[in-house]
Amino acid sequence: MKQSKDPFEAAFEAAFEESPPESPIETEPDPDADTEIPISNSLNSQPIHTNEEEEDNHVKNTTSINTAITTTKNNNNNKDDEEDEEEDNMDVELAKFPTAGDPHKMAKMQAILSQFTEEQMSRYESFRRAGFQKANMKRLLASITGSQKISIPITIAVSGIAKVFVGEVVEAARTIMKERKESGPIRPCHLREAHRRLKLEGKIFKRTTSRLFR
Amino acid sequence: MSNSAAGTSSKTRAASSQPSEPSSKRRRGVFHRELQHMMYGFGDDPNPLPESVALMDDIVVEYITELVHKAQDIGSQRGKLSVEDFLYLIRKDAPKLNRCTELLSMNEELKQARKLFEHDDENLRKTFEDDADG
Repeated sequence: MKQSKDPFEAAFEAAFEESPPESPIETEPDPDADTEIPISNSLNSQPIHTNEEEEDNHVKNTTSINTAITTTKNNNNNKDDEEDEEEDNMDVELAKFPTAGDPHKMAKMQAILSQFTEEQMSRYESFRRAGFQKANMKRLLASITGSQKISIPITIAVSGIAKVFVGEVVEAARTIMKERKESGPIRPCHLREAHRRLKLEGKIFKRTTSRLFR
Repeated sequence: MSNSAAGTSSKTRAASSQPSEPSSKRRRGVFHRELQHMMYGFGDDPNPLPESVALMDDIVVEYITELVHKAQDIGSQRGKLSVEDFLYLIRKDAPKLNRCTELLSMNEELKQARKLFEHDDENLRKTFEDDADG
């Protein structure tokens, strides 16, 4: 598997000067987290697709999100939020961040995460936990293909692909908002423009009807 | 267009599985709740606009539909949809490809771990029974 340059690492290097000056966050690992997570003690990883079992209360431990992070979230949040600096009782719910058995990346992730503000941490938590429900995805895929049996790996793969896609669209929409110097929640016009730009870049599939003899 | 057909059919299915609301236009879409959290995680407001979520829902459903149709075109020779078709389709897109392979390998690891877990369970049970007898 070729190692693409980790966008999060790139953002980390770039944003290191921009990160909030004093934000030593006590990373208190949630004491319940370890006991509630099945099996993962023997593993270093736990896939996101089990989140429907643990979504509500539990901690989600997942392996590397490096390649999945398409947004330079740190940059966005540094400019957007109002620098609230009470990190005394920051309840960091994500206890372990094993990154595919790569201690170097793990150390970097720990370093980054220890410096998150509260808003960044909550956004990061949403980012990790959010995912498409397997049941919904299965139903959708079955209705598209017309066949009833959708295997589980396909569901997992499509959920992952769709999530990365959402990230790309939202990130492009944020970029557009910065260009237009607007702020606040993302509006549908931004999403449409983002969609159009992604189409131009070729990230969205075009219908491959043969246009040879039109 | 097959797009809108698939979209509306999934929407009506979603609507029928939920209790009908008194308000007239209750097409919440397929992925409403998850999309709100996801958009927040990726950089949107903590409370994204409902129109944005609905539009994003449509965009995602259209994307998935296109993806699956293309995969069917490719995999039709084999007769069944398989994961490799999807992996082939996103081969040019590095973040998606890496994410997909990572998720699938984690799935494999979990499966192995579950097997081991049950295997250990069996062994434990056997040793206890032996102790009880002896």
